[in-house]
Amino acid sequence: MSSENPAVVMESVSKWYGEVIGVNDVSLAIDGGVTGVLGPNGAGKSTMFKLLLGRLKPNQGSVRLFGTDPWESTAPFRRVGYVSETEPLYEWMTGLDFVSTMARLHGMTREEATDRAEHVLDFVGLSDVQHKEVGKYSKGMRQRVKIAHALVHDPDLIILDEPLHGCDPLARTSIMSVIRELGNRGKTVIVSSHILEEIERITEQIVILHNGRLLALGNLHAIRGLLDKHPHRILIETESPRELAEAFISREPVYGVRFPDQGFLEIQTSNLSAAHSILPQVIVESGIKVRSVENPDDNLESLLGYLVGGG
Amino acid sequence: MSEELDITGGVTRMESAFGSGDGDEDAQATVAQNAEIKGAIFEQTYRPWRGTLGPRWVRNYSIYRHHVYGLFSSKGHRHYPVMVRLTILGIFLFSLSPVAMLFLASMGGNGEFGEVLSRLWGINRYNLWGQVLGFFPRNMCMWPLLTALVVGGMISDDRGNGTSAIYFSRPVTRIDYAAMKFLSSAVVLGFVIVFSYILYYTSAIVFKGEGWAFLIDTFPMFLGGLLAGILLVFTYTSIGLALSSISQSRFFAGVAFLATIYGTKMVAFLIESQFDSSILYIFSPYDVLAHIGQWLLGIESNYDHSLAFSVVSLLLINGSSIALLASRVSSLEVTRE
Repeated sequence: MSSENPAVVMESVSKWYGEVIGVNDVSLAIDGGVTGVLGPNGAGKSTMFKLLLGRLKPNQGSVRLFGTDPWESTAPFRRVGYVSETEPLYEWMTGLDFVSTMARLHGMTREEATDRAEHVLDFVGLSDVQHKEVGKYSKGMRQRVKIAHALVHDPDLIILDEPLHGCDPLARTSIMSVIRELGNRGKTVIVSSHILEEIERITEQIVILHNGRLLALGNLHAIRGLLDKHPHRILIETESPRELAEAFISREPVYGVRFPDQGFLEIQTSNLSAAHSILPQVIVESGIKVRSVENPDDNLESLLGYLVGGG
Repeated sequence: MSEELDITGGVTRMESAFGSGDGDEDAQATVAQNAEIKGAIFEQTYRPWRGTLGPRWVRNYSIYRHHVYGLFSSKGHRHYPVMVRLTILGIFLFSLSPVAMLFLASMGGNGEFGEVLSRLWGINRYNLWGQVLGFFPRNMCMWPLLTALVVGGMISDDRGNGTSAIYFSRPVTRIDYAAMKFLSSAVVLGFVIVFSYILYYTSAIVFKGEGWAFLIDTFPMFLGGLLAGILLVFTYTSIGLALSSISQSRFFAGVAFLATIYGTKMVAFLIESQFDSSILYIFSPYDVLAHIGQWLLGIESNYDHSLAFSVVSLLLINGSSIALLASRVSSLEVTRE
């Protein structure tokens, strides 16, 4: 991938439908690795994908895929693989026929298309059912065959709209593994999901949209660190929470304690890493037995709650 | 009731009733063994592709073949139901019926039977016109039905199922998409309508052993009929695709096409019979083509109005159909603009 032309660049992009705003002054650049796009329903995720795929024209700003406007030219789609949430398939075809037919739409020869289709079906774990009709596939298999057809021409940018939707746990695990592997291969993978735990398992690089606005972009923990008005919490399960609280309250990064439940101590701090650095020392010095230590709000769900819901 | 029960050596009521003690002397039991636990680890390796993707025409050819090969094979191509395939085959075979009659005529030699068949089915202006533009049975039963079956689902299937997204998330322009749909439809119609016409003309030459003089006499007529056939294929395809592009069901698109062809002719016929004016035939695609075809083949016109009206009407019918098609295809998958 050229550093001059990142996979995705959106500059001050706005799109509205009549009086309803879909995307509001969004600027971002994504290149390499897996990026999760998050946001509640109506946040603008679908509008963003449609803008990237040239199915909508921005009212303001510009969209570039590898330096080219996707509304003006289909050329970037040679390097793009797209998995839609609702895209139907040719039900009468076998998985192999479907994927090789899609490969031929990219300009591959028959032999190349068949060879490549067999490989990507193997990659997504469908080689054993490649001769079965797509109409007889389970939901998880259908999602995987969609990923296979999006990968068949070895794209540099893969856009996956809710790829885990409706899949059973086994299929989810398999699809997440595929997405991670593609990211590790240096592909730019943009994946949207409303299942936050699964995005967390795939990537820490996220884009958060709400009401069409870009709320946050970057590493999950780095974004959380920037939210000063929401103190970080450390939840400690111990036999003597009050004694342990006494030991913590006098230390610098800790500015508050709570007892949310029997046998639990919650430490509030504005500097999570500093608090974690003193944590072992304080526990050892106090001699109090600790069963577990957790960061209940250093995750995507809390982050989304703070950013979208105000906390 | 004071007697004590002797429970040794006897049988209990339960045993008496159900014989549950029978066979205890050689009782056996089978215990399921633990199945051998097997596992497999899949090595998930992604292999990059180092080839070069073909140019635009290769992609377009793949769209074209996807639609045409579906008529012959269900393996990896656009799906045509078996009944549709059989109907198309039936129409094609029936369109070749004059070839069979010419063959019979040639077998009849110079006898009366052969002469009659030659007069009825042999090459002349009227028969050449009729092979493409005759109303019954060709333009009443065969060509419109063929068009409805082939063209009806060409775009409406994509609209109904959302499968146009498959094309538009790839380097396929909307012009290429519409052009390849048009070409593949026209090729199928052309194969049945134009190819059967060519076969009819050539078989007449072969079966009757005609020479150069016959060829020189009839070839201009043949070219006129060929052009009329091409115009018919083009016009029916453009109307059919336009109707398919505004529909989400192949049934509606097909029925709308039949209604357009038959309805306009029917209305024009009623007006003509009541008011003795043929002008409304300019709204009937079939009659417009028939009128132009009569001029191309040099036969007397059935219509009172000027040929120019039919020519302009044909241009307008095709122009408006293609404009509608272009408009609908450009808005495919582009939502809430």
